[in-house]
Amino acid sequence: MKKAILYINQFFAGIGGEDKADHEPEIREGLVGPAMALNAALNGAEVTHTIICGDNFMGSNEDEAVKRILGFLEDKDMDIFFAGPAFQAGRYGNACGVISKAVKAKFDIEAISCMHEENPGVLMFKKDLYIFPGGKSAAAMRKDMGKMAGLGDKVLAGETDLRAEVEGFYPRGVRHQVWREDAKPASDRAVEMLLKKLAGEKFETELPIPEVDRVPIAAPIQDMTQARIALVTTGGIVPIDNPDRIQSASATRWGRYDISAMDRLEGGVYKTIHAGFDPAAADADPNVVTPVDSLKVYEKEGKIGKVDDFFYSTVGTGTTEAEASRMAQEMIVKMEESHVTGIIMTST
Amino acid sequence: MRLEIGNFHVKDIVFGDTTKYENGVLTINKQEALDFVKEDEHITEADIVIAKPGDNIRIVPVKEAIEPRTRVDKDAPVFPGVTGELTPVGNGVTHALKGCSVLAVGMTYGSFGDGLIDMSGDGAKYTLFSELLNVCLVVDTDEEFERHEQQKKNRALRWGAHRLAEYLGATVKKLEAEEKEVFELPAMTKRSAEVSALPSVVYVMQPQSQMEESGYNDLVYGWDMNHVVPTLMHPNEILDGAMISGSFMPCSSKWSTYDFMNNPTIKRIYSEHGKTLNFLGVIMSNLNVSLEQKNRSAQFVAQIATSIGADGAILAEEGYGNPDADFIACFAALEDAGVKTVGMTNECTGRDGQSQPLVTLDVKADAIVSCGNVSQLIKLPPMETVVGNLEALAKHGLSGGWEDDEVLGSSVKEDGSIIMENNSMFCGDRVSGWSTKQMKEF
Repeated sequence: MKKAILYINQFFAGIGGEDKADHEPEIREGLVGPAMALNAALNGAEVTHTIICGDNFMGSNEDEAVKRILGFLEDKDMDIFFAGPAFQAGRYGNACGVISKAVKAKFDIEAISCMHEENPGVLMFKKDLYIFPGGKSAAAMRKDMGKMAGLGDKVLAGETDLRAEVEGFYPRGVRHQVWREDAKPASDRAVEMLLKKLAGEKFETELPIPEVDRVPIAAPIQDMTQARIALVTTGGIVPIDNPDRIQSASATRWGRYDISAMDRLEGGVYKTIHAGFDPAAADADPNVVTPVDSLKVYEKEGKIGKVDDFFYSTVGTGTTEAEASRMAQEMIVKMEESHVTGIIMTST
Repeated sequence: MRLEIGNFHVKDIVFGDTTKYENGVLTINKQEALDFVKEDEHITEADIVIAKPGDNIRIVPVKEAIEPRTRVDKDAPVFPGVTGELTPVGNGVTHALKGCSVLAVGMTYGSFGDGLIDMSGDGAKYTLFSELLNVCLVVDTDEEFERHEQQKKNRALRWGAHRLAEYLGATVKKLEAEEKEVFELPAMTKRSAEVSALPSVVYVMQPQSQMEESGYNDLVYGWDMNHVVPTLMHPNEILDGAMISGSFMPCSSKWSTYDFMNNPTIKRIYSEHGKTLNFLGVIMSNLNVSLEQKNRSAQFVAQIATSIGADGAILAEEGYGNPDADFIACFAALEDAGVKTVGMTNECTGRDGQSQPLVTLDVKADAIVSCGNVSQLIKLPPMETVVGNLEALAKHGLSGGWEDDEVLGSSVKEDGSIIMENNSMFCGDRVSGWSTKQMKEF
């Protein structure tokens, strides 16, 4: 009998909700919570272990969490890995993606999860593992687990012709040629598509092209002496204790920090948590990434009306467009409240 | 313009005393045919091999395919500007030997754009030419200047095959055709009100023309497609020998001369003419190297399409990679001009399927028929007989072969089995319209 292992969070393990979200990673022999449903639905394997980790622990200590869990798995017999289902829980979705990707890379086995389409984990990880569209809440547990187990059985049976539109998982951006069963030639397909397009009817392209969200460049600010300018960085500059626990890569969180009473960002008080570049220079002088010092000088000289009381920060490396866009929308609400009229974006 | 193609359905091809066509059997006097081919002094050695569907035969390196034809109502070449004087085509009576092709095969040397054909087994699903009776013209030449070049013009061999196709086609010049296909499209301004009221469409072709030096590119009436700006053509001209394939593009993306002569998309649009569509004609564009050339061609295509009142277009490219930029630029220019467009292409998603499918993308290209992945890895067992030189796949720079790979080894194994990329399947992606392949998400 082949062997499977499931990852779940502290809530589905019955440990607790938000107050227990810092629960450290552990592995238990046998079936915990949803693992029972998975074991019942799987025909080609038994679930031997359940891994449990608090969502916050994974979110805030990702490297440590991944390291410990991979350590748990090193001496285990395992043919396939499952995570979730994560429903609409964003942090849980992220955790399922992070650990599945790591397990896949280390042990060269397939990983399968399931998430509601609005779970940010879908966009972040659908290219890295099989993720099925799932329900919003645990009410869909049995159904979602059924999808995961169904594909798992096929993977374990050695099937390789697993197409997104047939199996139902989110397309992964993996495209291969197949011979059509109806043997319909390209000439027929082209003419039929054209007739539909000409008639204004719905048609289905064979090569969907992702929409790139281009933002038009804003009109210039006419009078900078009256402008209120906010600094936004994707360079990961945060107070030294990273109070908002912004991730070092693939960020889903952001923070804003009060600079109204200071002329510059001091090293040792602020630092970068960005994992995509050498932090030495930015840690020594955070103003090289987020130039609070220069802007405060401009403010004093009257070149700009006012530097906003807060600077805004997140991490850009590995962050999906969808997450970046959501975070920007959230920032804009705060900026509008304080009548910001211009933004300077800095990266790394 | 009215073109009548009289068809003769070839059931078998054999060698015999007289070159003739009788009761579905094409007989070739091999010596006479070879003597004819060798009238070109650049051909130093030549052989003719017949390869039939089901034969345990692997053919490589294949450089060109042609349908044998002849002109009935006039004494004129099948390929004007190439095998004879420049004369107009697309109007009149042409006879064709169907179900067969003449293949130009290197006896020793391969080049970048050459392909492979298996006549049976799993490999036979990769190309249309596995389904045809093939007359393989296997040749060595004296073209020393390109002997060791990866890119070869292969002129003597390709021209030899064109001439051999004419030689074989001549067997049916005076016979009564078994079946007649008629392609007739009156002038755009002389069509009935009913036809003119239908959505008007054009077929935009982008044949390969990226080489700046002459001798490699597709030809129109013998003229290098690199030296043209897009122009309007009658679809009958394409079906009747105006276009000659080149010797440059990775082979699965290639349109052979056979593909031009039988272009299934032209025939399919014809079948809708007067019913659901008004087929205006073909805009013959090209594929270029520099961005300005690409944009100039796109601009010309959009201008011609709007000038003649096209509501819709089918756009096809003979290539991938750099030519994707021409394809997408032309697609966007047509859409910007209000011409509803459907594109036909293949993709290069890599062996793992994860690469961006086309070099450039544009959301305006919202309707695409996608015919294959050039980089798919293919393993095939040995075949009993090789026509040509199997080693060429590994040693002569074919786009889908390699001499050494640290993981995969050589494309050609000691036992004669092969590992290659789809890139070198002879005209394998069939973007001219035959393809029953489609790209899918996994």
